[in-house]
Amino acid sequence: MNEIPPIQGYVIISALLFAIGLTAVLVRRNAIAVLMGIELMLNAANLNFVAFWRYHGAERMEGQVFAVIVITLAVAEAAVALAIILSVYRRFRTVNVDQINLMKG
Amino acid sequence: MPQGYEFFLIPGLPLLAFLVISAFATRKQDEELAPAFIIIALTGSLVLSFRALMMVAAQGELERTVPWLSVGTLSLDLGVLVDYLSAGMMVVVCVVSLLVQIYSIGYMRGENGYGRYFAYMSLFSGSMLGLVISNNLAQTYIFWELVGICSYLLIGFWYRRPAAAAAAKKAFVVTRFGDLGFLAGILVLSALPNASFGFADLAHRVETQRLAVGTATLVSLLIFCGAMGKSAQFPLHIWLPDAMEGPTPVSALIHAATMVAAGVYLVARTYFLFAVAPTALFVVASIGTLTLFLAATMGVAENDIKRVMAYSTVSQLGYMMMALGVGGYTAGVFHLTTHAFFKALLFLTAGSVIHTLHSNNMWEMGGLRKRMPITAITCLVGALALAGMPPLAGFWSKDEILTAAWHSKLAGHQVFFLAALVSAFITAFYVFRLWFLTFGGEPRTAQARQAHESPWVMGGPLVILGALAAVAGVLKKSVPGTGQGLGELLSREGAPEPFSWLVMGLSVAAATGGIALAWAAYSRGLVSPAAFNRRFPGVYALLKNAWYFNHAWELFATRVVIAGSALAAWFDRHVVDGMVNGVAWLCGRVGQRLRALQTGQMQFYVAVLVLGVIASLLVLVTRETPKLTGWWR
Amino acid sequence: MIASLWQAAVEAFLSGSFLYPLAFVAFALGTLVPAVLVVVSKNIVHAALWLLVSLASVAGLYLLLGAELLAAIQILVYCGGIVVLFLFAIMLTPGVGDPEVRVHNRQLFWGFIAATLLAAVALHLLSSEPWRVVSTANLTDVTGRLAEALLGPYVLAFEVASVILLVAMIGAIVIVRAEPRE
Repeated sequence: MNEIPPIQGYVIISALLFAIGLTAVLVRRNAIAVLMGIELMLNAANLNFVAFWRYHGAERMEGQVFAVIVITLAVAEAAVALAIILSVYRRFRTVNVDQINLMKG
Repeated sequence: MPQGYEFFLIPGLPLLAFLVISAFATRKQDEELAPAFIIIALTGSLVLSFRALMMVAAQGELERTVPWLSVGTLSLDLGVLVDYLSAGMMVVVCVVSLLVQIYSIGYMRGENGYGRYFAYMSLFSGSMLGLVISNNLAQTYIFWELVGICSYLLIGFWYRRPAAAAAAKKAFVVTRFGDLGFLAGILVLSALPNASFGFADLAHRVETQRLAVGTATLVSLLIFCGAMGKSAQFPLHIWLPDAMEGPTPVSALIHAATMVAAGVYLVARTYFLFAVAPTALFVVASIGTLTLFLAATMGVAENDIKRVMAYSTVSQLGYMMMALGVGGYTAGVFHLTTHAFFKALLFLTAGSVIHTLHSNNMWEMGGLRKRMPITAITCLVGALALAGMPPLAGFWSKDEILTAAWHSKLAGHQVFFLAALVSAFITAFYVFRLWFLTFGGEPRTAQARQAHESPWVMGGPLVILGALAAVAGVLKKSVPGTGQGLGELLSREGAPEPFSWLVMGLSVAAATGGIALAWAAYSRGLVSPAAFNRRFPGVYALLKNAWYFNHAWELFATRVVIAGSALAAWFDRHVVDGMVNGVAWLCGRVGQRLRALQTGQMQFYVAVLVLGVIASLLVLVTRETPKLTGWWR
Repeated sequence: MIASLWQAAVEAFLSGSFLYPLAFVAFALGTLVPAVLVVVSKNIVHAALWLLVSLASVAGLYLLLGAELLAAIQILVYCGGIVVLFLFAIMLTPGVGDPEVRVHNRQLFWGFIAATLLAAVALHLLSSEPWRVVSTANLTDVTGRLAEALLGPYVLAFEVASVILLVAMIGAIVIVRAEPRE
């Protein structure tokens, strides 16, 4: 079928999703919630890539390739980040980002 | 060498002698040679100076320049200007210096530092000649400073004596005040468009009206500051009496005949500036008058033979300045010449006495005319010249000055004339007081009874100078080698002053009166100075303490100058340091505020980052696609 | 632009070709709404689960765009892997705790402003220019062509990504290992 929405549709979703993910990063106290925000942002980027892949004729596969690689990296990053969070929890006894602070003043 | 450049040797020979003496003749075993070098050099300079004089008479002025430094249009060169003024002055300097050097051979015999003495003397002679022959103001200043240094070195020749060292310092510092003004004047000139230091250039400017009257007044007043310092005019005269700590030949050469005359010479050289600035002329005349009167009164109460002479020099310099001020250019320069001869003579005779008696105090002398006849007679000639008795040289020059003051068009010239006349009376009085106390009456101490005449090496110059002091009056009518009178040669201001029998009569009367009073007081005992001092203790104290000028200067130095320094120190501490500290304080405060940005909260940093991204985004996009910015215009 | 979307929707509905737009709207809402809930949930487990829903909807969007393999990868990896990982971590930490404790930090207001500003700027920029796009696409054998691309010109990226995964795994283990007690 050829009645697909204009690309703006997908791009707007991507932008909004990115903003929401950014909000999560900036506003939530739990470190894991911050990570969730990051995942949302990565997904927004991916959505953008795939949308443009499709709307440029789906001839060249770079869009999808990029998206695949991004997903891979997101996984690696999430794993390491969670490992760090656990390690930090062990030291500070909390996962609240604003309480993890060695500064004195 | 090309014609004219040989005159560079006139200062060059003595300077060369300085180098040679310093290098080879300062050790004890070589010292005897030292005077030979300078005498040879000065003889050469004398011959060249005469040649210069005759050349000017035959061919007119000559100027030669060796370029040295130049910045833009302003250049600092070494040059010689040979005209009647400089050639005449050079002859005088060479003659007096030569005679003093010969005299010094006898006077300084056996002294420590014999070689050093002649080295300094040759440096001085060379510097003075360089000053005289200079063709531009900057070169004049260079040599001006050089003679100042030589004066310091020679006053403090016996540097182990604290009084001598202090006197040398005082001379240098006080003349420094004047030199500051001089330098300021030079700098003002250098700031003019198409600036130049050359005298010919500047004179031309003044003539063609390219120099404003205000500027000329300012510059001439500043230059006069320098003259005030070097020529010991009020209020910068305090150094000259103290400068008598130096050896007597030094006093004779530097502080009577030549260096102190440099101030007068400077004013004469730059007279074209003064001529268009009546204010400056008035200042010069006033200060000259003040000086000549005050110094004469101070000379009356001195007991040290050299100090009497010192005040006399100050007073006579005042006469010269006053003459220049009232427009008597010729009179001032003429008196410069005659004064050089008879004042040097007087100093050398005093030196002769001191040399044999080892004392400067006139009250320890007396009756020396029998034991030192040559000294006594030459001193008498000098005293008569100073007092202004005809037919000696001093009479002619002093008379010219008085005539100039009488006929001058300057405001207040009558006051100047009156002061000069009264001071002539005082001058005659103090100089004959000196003669009667020293040579008249009977010896007052054992020393005096055993006094002996000086050797011929000292006596010879005395006689020659005595002759010059006697006959130099003839210069007024005819300068040897030129066939014209001094007045015509020097006169730039038009016709020489008219002759006045009245003035001549008054001046002779004043001189005679002074001599008579001195004779009555100190020879015949008809008038008692002691009684006078008892009746007018205030007057006596005033004169004895030199009108308290030294005290005033000391007060100024300790109160005013130190107060000024305290103010400057406060300013430095609070304002200058304050600004620097303020910057540091500001940094600290700003840092304190900015530190709050380092919260350590990661999410804060991310937020700031995001804001930065937004800003960059907006900037980039609006630059690339101006259409997009429409909605917020 | 919103007007043209609405127009298209109405046309599609009237012409029967409304499935695609319907699916699009559904998946779009399914992405954005749970995302907002992730931000505001007090309970962190709930937040993780809403994340799951959002990611799954994104997979749906991929399907609509014709990237089938990618959609599958999305579900397997993101939903099945990462969210599970998050849940594990949540269980190991006291994130599930006192419901009285605030969920957001002190910069709620400014963070919100920043994000909104970014969204506004981005939206404005993105909707102002017409995009040079084509609406016809070559959707034959997408998976095959993707595989060819990954193992062809982009094999380096592919391999490096694998290495990164290995390194991340080792790194995570090392970081989390308890300090050896002496």
